[in-house]
Amino acid sequence: MIDSSREMQRGNRLRALIPYLFVLPAFLIFALFVLLPILDTVRLSFFDWTGFSAPNFAGLANYIELWTDRLFITGLGNNLRFILFYTVFPIGLALVLTAVMTRRRIRGMSLFRAGYFIPYVMPMVVVGVVWRWIYNPAFGPLNQALGAIGLDALARPWLGDFDAALPAVGLIATWVQYGFCMVLFIAGVQKIDESLYDAAQVDGASAMQQLRHITIPGIRTEISVALVTTFIAALRIFDLVFVTTRGGPGDQTMVTSLWLYRNAFQINRVGYAATIAVAQSVLILAISAVLLRFTRTSDQEEVAQ
Amino acid sequence: MFKKQSVVLTLSLVAVIALGMFAAPLAAQGNTTLVVWDNLVRPEESAIMDALIARFEEAHPGVTVARTAKSTDDLKATTALALSSPDGPDVAMVNQGQSDMGALVAAGLLEPLDDYAEQFGWFEHFPAGLASLQRWTPDGMQMGEGDFYGIPIQAELVGVYYRTDLFEQYGLSIPTTLAEFEAAMATLAEAGETPLVFGNLDAWPGIHLYSEIQNAELASREWYDQFMFTTGEVDFDIPENIAAAARLQEWIANGWLLKGFEGIGYDDAWQLFSAGTGAMLLTGSWLSGELLPGPHGADIGFFVLPALEEDGFKLTVGGTGYDFSIRAGSPNVDLAAEYINYLYSEETAQALLDAGFLPVYPVDTSTLEDGLVKDIVLGWNHLNSTDSVGYYMDWVTPTMYDTITASLQELMAGRVTPEEFVDVVNADYVAFLLEKGVR
Repeated sequence: MIDSSREMQRGNRLRALIPYLFVLPAFLIFALFVLLPILDTVRLSFFDWTGFSAPNFAGLANYIELWTDRLFITGLGNNLRFILFYTVFPIGLALVLTAVMTRRRIRGMSLFRAGYFIPYVMPMVVVGVVWRWIYNPAFGPLNQALGAIGLDALARPWLGDFDAALPAVGLIATWVQYGFCMVLFIAGVQKIDESLYDAAQVDGASAMQQLRHITIPGIRTEISVALVTTFIAALRIFDLVFVTTRGGPGDQTMVTSLWLYRNAFQINRVGYAATIAVAQSVLILAISAVLLRFTRTSDQEEVAQ
Repeated sequence: MFKKQSVVLTLSLVAVIALGMFAAPLAAQGNTTLVVWDNLVRPEESAIMDALIARFEEAHPGVTVARTAKSTDDLKATTALALSSPDGPDVAMVNQGQSDMGALVAAGLLEPLDDYAEQFGWFEHFPAGLASLQRWTPDGMQMGEGDFYGIPIQAELVGVYYRTDLFEQYGLSIPTTLAEFEAAMATLAEAGETPLVFGNLDAWPGIHLYSEIQNAELASREWYDQFMFTTGEVDFDIPENIAAAARLQEWIANGWLLKGFEGIGYDDAWQLFSAGTGAMLLTGSWLSGELLPGPHGADIGFFVLPALEEDGFKLTVGGTGYDFSIRAGSPNVDLAAEYINYLYSEETAQALLDAGFLPVYPVDTSTLEDGLVKDIVLGWNHLNSTDSVGYYMDWVTPTMYDTITASLQELMAGRVTPEEFVDVVNADYVAFLLEKGVR
């Protein structure tokens, strides 16, 4: 008796291990290509290292330098400005489009939906090159169109203009992100009970009221997903700026990732670049955690009601 | 049945391993692969390189040259890591300057080439002034002293491409003073032409434009030599540099630069010029091979931006292309040196020249036909005979590229005064002098 129960226990224990066995191969790959590099980056952030000679231990010097590094602070400020174009505009635009597309029957709807989503699927480098052409002051269609309708006064060297550069780059980001948000929201709306809208209509609720009181609460989860992903995208923006302005004019579009890249690959300060990477990651994690927590509690409140 | 299969498998495995063991020494003897990295990615120059390599392989049976062409940015980002790998390229193109060749020398990643230079007689033709840019002390801190680490094959100088037909139309001749150059721009602007095609979205073209004006203002080479060799003797905030910044702002205020230049990329700018926009383009001789086949190629000439005074002294931004260097520890050092020697030869020089590029190796100019290529070769010869090859100031300190490009954009947008501009640049410079310990 005792023996067999012990054997059963062992069997149970073994069975409990089986799921981990299935996870193991994926975990090994994850550890090798994600975890280890992250740990190594954290280690490097405490060193002075050119990238090829022997690293010198620097203690917290790199982290102290961050606080007084003008370009890091400028970059961080610009990252925050980009949130407007990565998060606020796309989500707002996507909400409006969702309201229009789900409440009215429009011919060729799937075509529009696919069309709005295409920018998000395109490689960022391609998007950047295309928009560099659109913004080109000598032969780009934007300034030509402005000229054609008599708005020459508005034409400017967009990406090279100190005031216009950041919004110009930001609008590209909005153009890329809103399609993704919209597809997310449309999927969310489909699970809202149709009868809610019918009841609202009977009560004489306007389209705007329906959006505010039915659609938005109904897709709260989708909105929070969109919030977190676009937020992260704004904080780690690199390719778009690299292709369009390289951080210029002056430092108007400098962002932390670009400053990281320059330190690592142009100034040969790999240790300091690692420090920037760590700081950026911690910031992204912290903000994502706050956002997720915020949206989760509001979900629970909804359930309680 | 299973047994039979496994016997066959084992036998074939043995055969494969045995063949491999024999094949390995054979390969080492008969087939050597020389791995080379360069940055010659523009279509014309890349084609020449491939043709040259084919000829080199013909002359060296059993040698295969595996060439990888990388854009300048890409090359810069990957070279250091690749050179520290035991399987890295045998020959790689390396930029001059503290943060490139200096850093690689300090890390012990480059092979000193003095012995090969002597063996192949490179210094019979390679000017000592240019050679000092490839000499570094072992700690990679002082340029101009120590071993010799690389040789370039292409020379370059920054000057003015101009449309001969437009100059004729408006009665202009090649200017001999900076004032005449400005007068020509004024004439062209009045006639509704764009005097100077220029695009600064990529930020680095501004360095060339500013430096050329600066060279005219300086009118001697003493300051620049001290500045670039970071001896600690000079500062950046001198009246000539302020005057040059003010003059640049004046050119912009006069509308002499291509409208919207702040938002136009370098490649877009020269392609506009190539397609017929504007009368002049200030950039490097490296574009000649690309401009010649263009629709106005036959009507394009080249002159060096003139000095303040007629026949006065003026440095001209220029020098050489990237160096060909050898990875320390390469198993094919001798072959690599032979390859470099082939690239630094009369044969290669002639091939470069035939395609419209300017070789470092001296070539016979008497057979050249009039036109763009001749203008450039004569310009280069003039710089060499007057010892006035200038500098690319962005590599004077590791951070100067970022500092000078950003502050020049500020200057050109009128957001800072010429005085504020030189202060920013000087702060970067002095910080490096302090770090280096010469201040």
